[in-house]
Amino acid sequence: MSDASQISHLLFVKAECETCQLIEPVIGEAIDAGKAIRILVQDDPAFLGAHSPGDDTLLEESYRWNVETTPTLIALDHDRETGRVDGWDRAGWREMLDMPTLAEDLPEFRPGCGSRSLEPGIYENLVSSYGDPGLSARVVRLEEWDDEMESCFDHGWTDGLPVTPPTDARILRMLKGTSRAADEVIGKVPPNLASITVEKAAVNAVMAGCKPEYFPVVLAALEAALEPVFTLHGLLCTTCFSSPIIVVNGPIAKRIGMNWGINALGQGNRANSTIGRALQLIVRNVGGGIPGDLDRSTLGGPGKHTFCFAEDEYTDPDWEPLSVSRGFERGQNTVTLFQGDGVQGIIDWRSNTPEELSKSLAMSLLAVGHVKLAEFTNAMLVLSPEHHAIFRDAGWTRADITASLYDDLKRPGAEIVQGAQGVGEGIDPARGEETVNKFWPEGLLIVRAGGQAGLYSAILCGWTGGRFREESQPVTREIVL
Amino acid sequence: MSAITLRDPTAESAAVNRPRQPPPASLDGKTVALLDIGKMRGDEFVDRLEQLFTESKVSTKRYKKPTNTRTAPTEIIQDIVTETDVVVLALSDCGSCTSCSTHDLNDLDNLGIPGVSVLTTAFKQAFEQQCSKIGFDGASVYTPHPVLNRTTEQIHQFADSVFDEIRAAIVLSPAGGA
Repeated sequence: MSDASQISHLLFVKAECETCQLIEPVIGEAIDAGKAIRILVQDDPAFLGAHSPGDDTLLEESYRWNVETTPTLIALDHDRETGRVDGWDRAGWREMLDMPTLAEDLPEFRPGCGSRSLEPGIYENLVSSYGDPGLSARVVRLEEWDDEMESCFDHGWTDGLPVTPPTDARILRMLKGTSRAADEVIGKVPPNLASITVEKAAVNAVMAGCKPEYFPVVLAALEAALEPVFTLHGLLCTTCFSSPIIVVNGPIAKRIGMNWGINALGQGNRANSTIGRALQLIVRNVGGGIPGDLDRSTLGGPGKHTFCFAEDEYTDPDWEPLSVSRGFERGQNTVTLFQGDGVQGIIDWRSNTPEELSKSLAMSLLAVGHVKLAEFTNAMLVLSPEHHAIFRDAGWTRADITASLYDDLKRPGAEIVQGAQGVGEGIDPARGEETVNKFWPEGLLIVRAGGQAGLYSAILCGWTGGRFREESQPVTREIVL
Repeated sequence: MSAITLRDPTAESAAVNRPRQPPPASLDGKTVALLDIGKMRGDEFVDRLEQLFTESKVSTKRYKKPTNTRTAPTEIIQDIVTETDVVVLALSDCGSCTSCSTHDLNDLDNLGIPGVSVLTTAFKQAFEQQCSKIGFDGASVYTPHPVLNRTTEQIHQFADSVFDEIRAAIVLSPAGGA
């Protein structure tokens, strides 16, 4: 093998590439003619063993020379590139090697294969090992024998469950999920009102277990959460149960494999589980909303790990999605963030007219917060397909259902004023003569989701902050890809 | 196996280390665990601490690790968590005892028992490095090094000289810091 100063050409190959196999005799022909070609093999170091190839199975050289194809022939002048031929191009090789009759028996052109260094999952590792990842978050170095999962716990970065360790390669892959710049500032996360960049959100999305294609949903959820009217600050410091609940609408739900069907509010789906968790980890790690410190929830709730699901926009094309009812176009990707907790199940196996079911659902909805409270919280009703079918078959739309429930949720004030029925909790005694609504007119959000079988619906109870009608509201926001 | 590099997911407004649990506002009605880490002569130091706490009417409970070269057995950690409120670990004067006792300090802190580790001055850097590797902002107090070749009386004097500092480290400071 020639020493570095004498090498005139670099040739990147891989054993599994048919074009590389095809040109094996050509390489022999060139070397026999005295060409100082340094061969670098990306996969099997024994390939082209007769020509003493270099081992580039770690792909460092392939990365440094920015190789996109195998074979790639690069001409050097004192270690500087003066030209390259990607794939097999007989005329190009003949010219570069100055061998006008090279490879008479071979076809003129073969495109070759993609370089291993560009394969999914590999490239970001090469950038983090050999290049400049361009990340600005503080580096935390572990020792050789440290357990990276335990280290994340020890640093206080987790919600009590293991997280995916945020390595540069994983963060770089996450950032590919968005068109937004890594250093773009999204806003200030309470309670510490700490600035968050796209990159810092990506670090937390990695830890939550998100795939890059979920990341735009995470960013939209974060932006919605940071809108002042969502009152995230109060929501995460509250003694109440609530936290952000994320409902995803639009084609992205299907594209990223979210669940709106069986067990939609439960476990088992990666996108549902990790998108909600990413937002919670951001609140914890960037905002400093740590239980017992500034998160003062008396009891908390399992939804504070994660609470995210999609609406079923598929099994009934006539159903008006939540996002459309909130002013967006059908087909637009959105997140709706609701301040809530739950699930409070409604069992109704017997209603079979829309009027009867509306009354029945309203009876359970009256319990939100407290039976005797009114206009105190919002609520989200998750209507299952079988319950919804009772309304649909009678020709009722979302607007009809909402209006009927609103009427069925009216009560005489005298029954629920403070002290009535022997219970101190209740509405202002001055409202005893009024007919009282349970929720603000816009305060009941209906989402259609769940398995096709089961005469159940679910209530996600709203937060006490909802009593300040103008100050604290759910937020819907478009997802920017 | 090569070392791994992670990126900080926090706002980086604080040190990378996790702050320790805030200690109680006072030791009234609290029990101080005195964890003898099992190093030779350490028991003499802990004897004196026990005496000093008793004289200042603070209740204590003694524990002893079977060896200073390993982290505390789970059972001892669990006993301390259920029976006491704060912990003093003593006395680390070597590399392995410093590393292991710092893990004990962190494990107890994670279970809600704030504490302080007493080490000899020679192991200040080792303690700080171990804390940094765990990602934990542990509290420490230092006595002169070495201790192995001292008389019991001298070891008791060391305990006397740092007792106020140890006490201060397991009570919330007036400024509100830990």
